[in-house]
Amino acid sequence: MSPNPTPPAPHLFEATHVTAVMPQQGGDHTVFHDLSFHVDAGEVVDITGPSGAGKSTLLTAFARLNAHTTGIFTLDGKDSDSFTPQQWRVRVSYLPQTSTLIGETVADAIRLPWTLKIRQGERKQDPAGMLTDEHIRQLLDDMGCADIELGRDPRELSGGQSARIALARTILTKPQLLLADEVDAGLDEDNADKVADLLKRAASQGAGVVRIRHRAPDGRANRIMVLKDGVLSEQGKGRN
Amino acid sequence: MAQHTYFTIDNIGLLIAACMVMAAAGISVLMKLDVAKSLVWSMARALIQLLVMGIILEYVIRQHNVWLVIALIGVMLVAAVQITMSRAKGVPKGLVPIVLLSLVVTMLIMISVVAELIVRPHPWYAPQVVVPLTGMMLGNTVSALALAMSRFFESMRERYEEIGTLLALGATAWEAARPSIISSIRLGMLPTIANLASAGIVTIPGMMSGQIIAGGNPVDAAKYQFVILTSFASLTLLAGTIILGLVYRRCFISYDRYRMPDPAPAPSIRHLIGKRASARRRAS
Repeated sequence: MSPNPTPPAPHLFEATHVTAVMPQQGGDHTVFHDLSFHVDAGEVVDITGPSGAGKSTLLTAFARLNAHTTGIFTLDGKDSDSFTPQQWRVRVSYLPQTSTLIGETVADAIRLPWTLKIRQGERKQDPAGMLTDEHIRQLLDDMGCADIELGRDPRELSGGQSARIALARTILTKPQLLLADEVDAGLDEDNADKVADLLKRAASQGAGVVRIRHRAPDGRANRIMVLKDGVLSEQGKGRN
Repeated sequence: MAQHTYFTIDNIGLLIAACMVMAAAGISVLMKLDVAKSLVWSMARALIQLLVMGIILEYVIRQHNVWLVIALIGVMLVAAVQITMSRAKGVPKGLVPIVLLSLVVTMLIMISVVAELIVRPHPWYAPQVVVPLTGMMLGNTVSALALAMSRFFESMRERYEEIGTLLALGATAWEAARPSIISSIRLGMLPTIANLASAGIVTIPGMMSGQIIAGGNPVDAAKYQFVILTSFASLTLLAGTIILGLVYRRCFISYDRYRMPDPAPAPSIRHLIGKRASARRRAS
């Protein structure tokens, strides 16, 4: 039934007919209508555009978190409706702009995803057993988060540290597609660079990465898309 | 047994009580506390409601008819639902059946366990036991439920970032709502638990006082009060769990997407008039 010719191999992630209609006083407001988007494994795609163009809405639509969007989303050619919401979001993982770290310590915050039923499976394992402190420490060191102690209260972290921990938490869950919603907003150059490295690394390990960015291009994107006035178009190729 | 050392309150007594309210209202006017009107109004309401309840109870007790007892409990249930809904702030529309269900379930358990297994009156529907017990239980549960529901929806609104993060990491709707459910049930239980802990030290609870004033044996009254307090504590927990277990889904739509329902406007006369006025405006 698809109007598009089927490509020889499906993209890692493909979204078609994505529409967002926000309820508003005095009638509904269509943010965008019938957008298409795709990303391949190992690819970093940036989405830019003016504030209010609906970039975050688009990303939350991909993760099927947004109550006001519709569309057809596939992962490796499989429709999102054939997954449970939890199965889908474990694979297509949205990382919000404001990092919310839940738990008493940084280690707890990192382990949070493993306390959820979807990752507990039938084994009912203790999250601390599945992800030991030493293991987390090593992963964080690998990710350039050596400056963050595991026993610290997440509320005491700086903005840059919280952003990196939130990103590390999502990366450790190994999603197939990582949707990063302006996670470098408000960070200094150094931290923004670290965050960009983490995302690029996730892509080099086979994930698809979509970033919403307001900063100047940092040379890590394979493609840059612009969402403006309800239209999503490709701006130009990045260097890689 | 009762030794009939029971002192009734005559009309002069009522008048003195009313005078006390008037005096308090007078003070509040002088101090500009702005509660005089509602104080007097509430007093008038309470007087009428209590007297009407007394007259009805007197009638029902004298008739000793099982259907009358059931009808009276039915009316009390409907009133309890109405009061719960009007006290709960920021809750969406359409919760009436759920509130009714949880009140009916807890009430049935209350009557079968507390009245029939513990007190064992003859006949089983003895109105002087069943009706006051139901009334006390409903009163207790209503405030707990109103508190718990208000807190739950408030918490679900406050936690939108946390809920978004949890869902994005693969949490189910239940997992995302659980902290709000726990905190609101806990809040609803606080007064009940506080009552349990302070009973007999700070206060002689209302029921026990009533029995003693009516000439009952204070130790018997204490036993009664203990049964009431403990069973109310467990029933309140049960009612809260039933309601929140059924209600939390209201904060999510299909595919476990988080979407808070609009709070229902408080049912007031002004709202009804406003609705009609806006409908008329739309029509013209």
